[in-house]
Amino acid sequence: MNNLPLFALFVVLTLGAYLATRWLFLAYRHPLLNPVFLSTVALIAFLQATGLTLEEYRPAKDVMTYLLGPATVALALPLYHNRRVLKSHALPVLSGVIAGSLTTMAAALLAGRVMGLDGGVLLSLGPKSVTVPIAVEISRLTGGEASLTAAFVVATGMIGSIMGPSLLSLCRVKSPVARGLALGTVSHGQGTAVALLESETAGAMGGVAMAIAAVFTALVAPYYLPLFLR
Amino acid sequence: MARSFLNIIWQTALLWLVFRLGGYLVGALHLALPGNVAGMLIMFALLATGAVKPRYIEVASGFLLKHFAFFFIPISVGLMSFGSLMRQSGLALLVILAASAAIGAAVTGMSVQLLQKRREP
Repeated sequence: MNNLPLFALFVVLTLGAYLATRWLFLAYRHPLLNPVFLSTVALIAFLQATGLTLEEYRPAKDVMTYLLGPATVALALPLYHNRRVLKSHALPVLSGVIAGSLTTMAAALLAGRVMGLDGGVLLSLGPKSVTVPIAVEISRLTGGEASLTAAFVVATGMIGSIMGPSLLSLCRVKSPVARGLALGTVSHGQGTAVALLESETAGAMGGVAMAIAAVFTALVAPYYLPLFLR
Repeated sequence: MARSFLNIIWQTALLWLVFRLGGYLVGALHLALPGNVAGMLIMFALLATGAVKPRYIEVASGFLLKHFAFFFIPISVGLMSFGSLMRQSGLALLVILAASAAIGAAVTGMSVQLLQKRREP
């Protein structure tokens, strides 16, 4: 770390943006006030305005995301509290997540084809709904571009967590189990974060969906995605 | 206050340990699973068998999950490096991502709710 003041500035700005937008979201509860979305826009605008680069932001990013791993492990606790729901709903949970994963992959590739995207971009789009580390692996396996896939994953997480809750309400999906599963299936950790704001049960189900979608997608993507490229 | 702070520290250390264990096992066994998800499943197994009591990780878990969204801010800032692709076909990509996420979420949400209702009339 050769630039401590810059590092400190980035941490303070990121934390400040988060706390301010979180306060705003909790006060008004409007989906467009999504804290991740607003903070990201603010930080990118700051970097652009000052001419600072992503490379310079990286050390701060690495430190701030260090606890994401342990935080994901912590999802085991709400999962444990909801173990009875999980056991009695094993079939709906499993089939719902699998159906959603298959649909979102198919929809992305078909829409991409209609819009004339080239094959490399399409393959990078395939695993966009699962958590970054596994999406990147799938992308490498199927011939996509890892960094592009990572960007799609993050964008999907943001889009899904902004419009997911209202969309589910529009479809009259009220059960916290179903809402959490839907958010986790299409928007991995970011969807889970929004589900956690709704309720503990929804959050736990987001974690479950994220895990099932990751494993299932990793297993089927190499065979499933090529079907849409022919 | 000082005590709950200490609690968060050592409970986070326990979560971190299981996270690393998950990463290690995934690598050693060549599993198609990210280390953090493996860690979550291991921690669930530890809780289910009673090896780890909920109170061992309660404070830190509550804190980390309350601020789960925070971690995605620094990650999302990375989208900045795709500025040229966004200018070129950003709108098409936005439509694709939004439409596919919407369809997927609707399918999962509605099918789960439907199957749930059928079970408990």
